[in-house]
Amino acid sequence: MRRVLFGSLALLFLTGVAVWGQVQVPTVQPLPLPGGDVISPYGLFNQFVPGVGSIYDGLNADPHGITNFRGVTAMGYTLGLATDNSGKTYQVITDVRVYQGDYVGAQPTFPAGGSTSAKAHGTFVEI
Amino acid sequence: MQVPDDAVKVTEDTLTISLKNISVVDQFQFPGGAGNNLGTAGFPATVSFDITYTKMGSPRQVRPASSDPLSPLNWAGKMWMATNSGSFSLSYNDGTFSAQGNFDSSGNFGEMGTEKNGSFLREHDEIDQADSEAPPLVTNENIATAPKLSEAKKLEENIPKLKGRIPVKDLIHEP
Repeated sequence: MRRVLFGSLALLFLTGVAVWGQVQVPTVQPLPLPGGDVISPYGLFNQFVPGVGSIYDGLNADPHGITNFRGVTAMGYTLGLATDNSGKTYQVITDVRVYQGDYVGAQPTFPAGGSTSAKAHGTFVEI
Repeated sequence: MQVPDDAVKVTEDTLTISLKNISVVDQFQFPGGAGNNLGTAGFPATVSFDITYTKMGSPRQVRPASSDPLSPLNWAGKMWMATNSGSFSLSYNDGTFSAQGNFDSSGNFGEMGTEKNGSFLREHDEIDQADSEAPPLVTNENIATAPKLSEAKKLEENIPKLKGRIPVKDLIHEP
């Protein structure tokens, strides 16, 4: 399973839970991109895969994972190697995306937490 | 996940992100933790990494090629192709596994720049601050026919300006 982990490091990171360290819980919740790749049997994954070739969504596919966003974006696919605590080596594939800027997200307004739109600034990473 | 602004350093040609001890869950499956995989058990872990993205070549202007909110082409921006490289370390919270490594773009696709989407994207708003350095769109046809700026101003000055309320009868010419 660890091979799977490192064979898809970026995908593992996508499941990250914001709890410790430098991670913050946004007061204005960013909204996922309404579109994305439809992956069977999962369904709609709110993210495109920019790039050129049959496995990508095209050069100008939106690299962002958040909608209502204006700011800086950086992303890239990588290859690498990792070594674990027993000396075993693994191939690493990553897709890490960084966003910094202004966004319009959801803030709790109504008694049960019902949302309204709010503007905020933030830095986000998808790993 | 949201991180502090100072975790990211942006210069003219680079973007660097540095994060320490970020909590993640290893789901062993993609996509994990949602949809059909909701409830799939995972291993709590922490990750630290540093990545630097570096611009390459000239930027390209991206204008929305679709108004469909679900389309990948419904955004605008100014993007450069980019390389990136980084290092990371990871360990399970129970201490049973840890690893560290390095990676780089190795010729794979990457890009960086400025963009806007969703409610920041408006019709007729394709050319914005992100696009402000782009040359004006000129076609062969309007090169020949379009008046120069000074001529256009003169034309504008000669056009009668209708201000305030105008009696309708003044615009009707009786035979």
